[in-house]
Amino acid sequence: MAENDISIIHPRPSSIVAALYTLRDLNVDVAILHGPPGCSFKHARLLEEDGIHVVTTALDENGFVFGGRDELSSLLTKVNEMFNPKLIGVVGTCASMIIGEELREPVQDANLDVPVIEVEVHAGYPNNTKGVLIALESACDAGIIDPEELGRQKILLEEATNVEKRHGAASREYLTPSRGDLKYKVAEKVIDYLKEGKRCLTIMNAKKETGYMFADITVAINEVASQLGMEDNVINMANVDDTLGLPRVRHHAKSIMDDFTEKGITIHENIGGMDEYPITGEKVSGLITEKYSDFDFAVITGVPHAIPMDNLQEMEVISVTNGPRQVIPLKEMGHENVIVEIDLHPKTLGVNNIVESEFGATIREVAKDMLERNSEAV
Amino acid sequence: MMAQKRIAIYGKGGIGKSSTASNVAAACADEGYKVMIIGCDPKSDSSITLLGGKRIPTILDLLRQKLDVTEKDIVHEGYKGVKCVEVGGPEPGIGCAGRGIIVAIQKLRKVCTSIDDMDLIIYDVPGDIVCGGFVAPIRKGLVNQAYILTSGEYMPLYAANNICRGLIKINTPLSGIICNSRSVTREEDIVKKFSEEIGSKLMAFIPKEQIVQDCERDGFSVLEKAPDSPVAGVYRELAHTIMSNEGSVMPSALEDERLRELTR
Ligand code: SF4
Repeated sequence: MAENDISIIHPRPSSIVAALYTLRDLNVDVAILHGPPGCSFKHARLLEEDGIHVVTTALDENGFVFGGRDELSSLLTKVNEMFNPKLIGVVGTCASMIIGEELREPVQDANLDVPVIEVEVHAGYPNNTKGVLIALESACDAGIIDPEELGRQKILLEEATNVEKRHGAASREYLTPSRGDLKYKVAEKVIDYLKEGKRCLTIMNAKKETGYMFADITVAINEVASQLGMEDNVINMANVDDTLGLPRVRHHAKSIMDDFTEKGITIHENIGGMDEYPITGEKVSGLITEKYSDFDFAVITGVPHAIPMDNLQEMEVISVTNGPRQVIPLKEMGHENVIVEIDLHPKTLGVNNIVESEFGATIREVAKDMLERNSEAV
Repeated sequence: MMAQKRIAIYGKGGIGKSSTASNVAAACADEGYKVMIIGCDPKSDSSITLLGGKRIPTILDLLRQKLDVTEKDIVHEGYKGVKCVEVGGPEPGIGCAGRGIIVAIQKLRKVCTSIDDMDLIIYDVPGDIVCGGFVAPIRKGLVNQAYILTSGEYMPLYAANNICRGLIKINTPLSGIICNSRSVTREEDIVKKFSEEIGSKLMAFIPKEQIVQDCERDGFSVLEKAPDSPVAGVYRELAHTIMSNEGSVMPSALEDERLRELTR
């Protein structure tokens, strides 16, 4: 490969991993990785936490040379007996794709009465969204989603890639991971601003299940504002439309919205589906111009770099991401403070309710201290 | 003690690499050399004429059965003690034959102690180098001389020219060109000219003789079945040339236009 062909040199999740997550969102019960036993190990394990079984044909050197058609078809039969699934996914890997394995034949050999989504994917695509696309196209072929949804997903994927290229982890040849700003300092700042009567916009623009944790920051800010009697100064935006997206994604939106309601939190602006984080930016911008241009500060969580700065110039922006490589691009966009929620993913897989975030917990603790100090002073 | 000669014979598929390799092996064995022939083609017919028409189990066949392979399973003695090994391959259209060659040769090197005692090891490699696996014997430093077999026809010469490109890429010099005649007009001249223009030399001109085919059909080399035939003498001569050949040069490939001119 010529040197100037190298665009990004830091490792990212591969197309294979992206395909696995897509199968999860399609609610498959079992995903079979047709390839080496260690392929995508970390994500495969994580997905088990999320309620789907991820298994491997464990292709070895013999498999590379002679192919693994029999192994795959007998594994299909085996998982069918073991887990009694309603929907199965089979995912290719570099090894099986390079040797020209074909997924259709073993699926036919196994002859199950369960639908199987075949994803012929390897890890050698520059954009990992390719894995999502192949999975969705196969799902459409298998009749699991309709062509309209496929079309909608394609637009979202293209935008997701553009967002990453503009200000995200794919924006630079190499990005140094960073832990971002100290949470307690930023928490203090937020509380001070609320105390001073400054007006706050919370914008949750979360990608799918990550919303379970980012929503907690919205909750924490509202709790503190209400303790300070400033609840009217906070406007909440969130992408929690539960009518859009793949089955599991709609379920997340509903669960999060139910929790907000239960906690007495009003979402003033529902800015889209939980898979629409790459295209919500325009909507948020429009809303700010129409109604909230005089607000003092904004706390943006989830995928903050998808929200354009055009209408945020006049506000102080604090953002919360789960990507340590996102800190530098966000600071360069003009965000005063950037916070990273470490280990967000393992904590949000397999949950159905909002989970505590580090920043949310910090806001609550710092507020407790500050309010206690205040009452002692009185 | 002479340095071990480890040669690979390249050339277009079907041009006669296996019969040349086995006849050279037999001729060297006649001279008292310790010879091993390693057939890398999935058809596994490099050694059949040294074994009286018998097929031996291939390394990959045994590995496929997940057997604990030992030297005696894969190394079989043929004509005058020539050690015969066949790599084999997956079924056509399945898996990766290139990787198969790599795996099989690694296995062979591991279990075969006698390989180091050989005077001559011949790798009979597949005709079409389609992926990295097929050049593994050279890449892994197992080969120290490469030969190309061709006829005077355009397509085999085209393939030979391409193989030169491949050799340049993997930084391996060429030790000579062998012409296996198809009775084309001016054939020897054409191949000789080609050899010179790429910077190499013509090692031998093997005439097209029915006897070669006949012996092969019966499962024997010419050296064994028709040792007094003139073509047996040609093989003997070639074997001698190879055993004494020290010179090798980095070839230069010809432009396609020049190649066409040569064969016109
Ligand atoms: S190289 Fe490809 S097949 Fe191998 S582990 Fe990585 S992603 Fe999987």
